[in-house]
This record gives sequence, C-alpha cells and structure tokens, in this order.
Amino acid sequence: MEFSYEVKDSYAEVKADGRLNLVSAARLREFVTGVIASGSKRIVVNLENTAFMDSSGLGALIGCLKAARQAGGDLRIAAVQPQVKMVLQLTSMDKVLTAYGTAEEAFSND
Amino acid sequence: MTEVLASRSFRGPAADEAIEAVHNDLDSLWLDAPFVQDIDQMTFTTAVIESASNIVQHAEPAGQEPVELGMDIIVQPALLQARVSAYHAKSPYEPMEPATQSEDAESGRGLALIQALVTTLTFERQDSTNTWVLTRSPQHG
Repeated sequence: MEFSYEVKDSYAEVKADGRLNLVSAARLREFVTGVIASGSKRIVVNLENTAFMDSSGLGALIGCLKAARQAGGDLRIAAVQPQVKMVLQLTSMDKVLTAYGTAEEAFSND
Repeated sequence: MTEVLASRSFRGPAADEAIEAVHNDLDSLWLDAPFVQDIDQMTFTTAVIESASNIVQHAEPAGQEPVELGMDIIVQPALLQARVSAYHAKSPYEPMEPATQSEDAESGRGLALIQALVTTLTFERQDSTNTWVLTRSPQHG
C-alpha cells in the first residue's frame, strides 16, 4: 500500500492506495499520526484507490480518527469503494466514519 | 461428485507475506471464475482474508515448528468453499463468539464480520491443525 498526503486550505488529504489490511494497517496509523504531528488536525483519508479493507484496516482508521480528535481536529473519509463500503456497513462503522463523495466535500460545510 | 470449476491452494509461514500471497491467489481465482458475481467475489475474498489474518495475528505454535497458514479454496457451481488452516498450532483458547465492540474499539470485529459474509462457518481441529471452513452459496442472476 502506498501513502501520500497533501496539505489543502482547511485540511490535509491522505491518499491510501492498495489494500488496507493487516500488513498495511500499522503503517497507515503511523503515517496519519505523522501528518497530525506536523500540524494538520483535520484529515481526509481519500479511499478512491483503496480496493480492499479488512477489520485490521478499519481498526487503523478508527485509531487515526481518535488521534485526530485528541489533537482537537477530526478525520473523515472520502471516495469509498464498494468493498470498503460493505465492511463499514456490516460493522455499523459507517455511522462513525462518515463517507463523503470527494475529499473536497468532507470539510466543506465546517 | 460436484464439479470443481476453479481452485487455488496456498501453504507457507504464517506471516504478513502470506496474507498478500493469499489475496493475490484469490484475485487470480476470480479471473478463472468470472461467472461468480462481483458481490460474491467481494464478500468471500473479505471473509478468507479476515480468517487468514486471524491466524497470522493470533495462532500460537503447538511445539517447535512455526505455525503455517494453509488455504484451499474451490469454486463449484452452487458453492464457494475455503478451508483456512493453521498448521502446527495450539488449539485456540478464546471462545468462538463474536465480541460486542464499542464504537471506538480498534480490534475485535473480525469474527463478526466473517459470520456476516459467509453462509456457513465451521471449525475443525485435527492433530495440531486448526481449520476454519467457510462456505458461501453464490447468487445467480
């Protein structure tokens, strides 16, 4: 899985491309924690190219959400693909991790 | 005997690399079985990877030999079946009941997720091998 980020006007966009699984979950957590530590408290994780997520990946996203909130910010997800949407719905985590159509929309009403 | 239309097998050390190898096997399996609908491919892949990840994370060796992960998956006209095994492993001591998770828990959702994705989930233990047998009755349409 490849991670990258870009600081926008009011948030930082993190891209996670590949499979968000047991192998990459800890790396996502580390990556997002680093982005928060560098001063971006509002994070959008763009999942457009995340073709797969399992419960380890979901746990990492929840960890990142908690880290962002502890820093006084928030974390939102965008461009969720069908498999990721299915996992979010089956675990009822779609209520906690609200999905937005695009990264731009995620903080547009704040 | 019911016809097997496609199959894949894997066996190797229960480590991170095995998860990626099993996932690659599943991706190539579906290329051999394009008649299996996307929803069934997606749900079954997720269930198998959850099971394999569970072994890599939690299986403990029963003796000197390290734990190995095994996967045997077959596609039949009316059935998808995966046997996901932990070889040289202790019997799992934790109850096979999905835990109820608080919203902000970061782990513990795997078993409930597997159960939601498959039609049947059974567990077998023989010698030093734990095997989870996952089946799904695919949709037709």
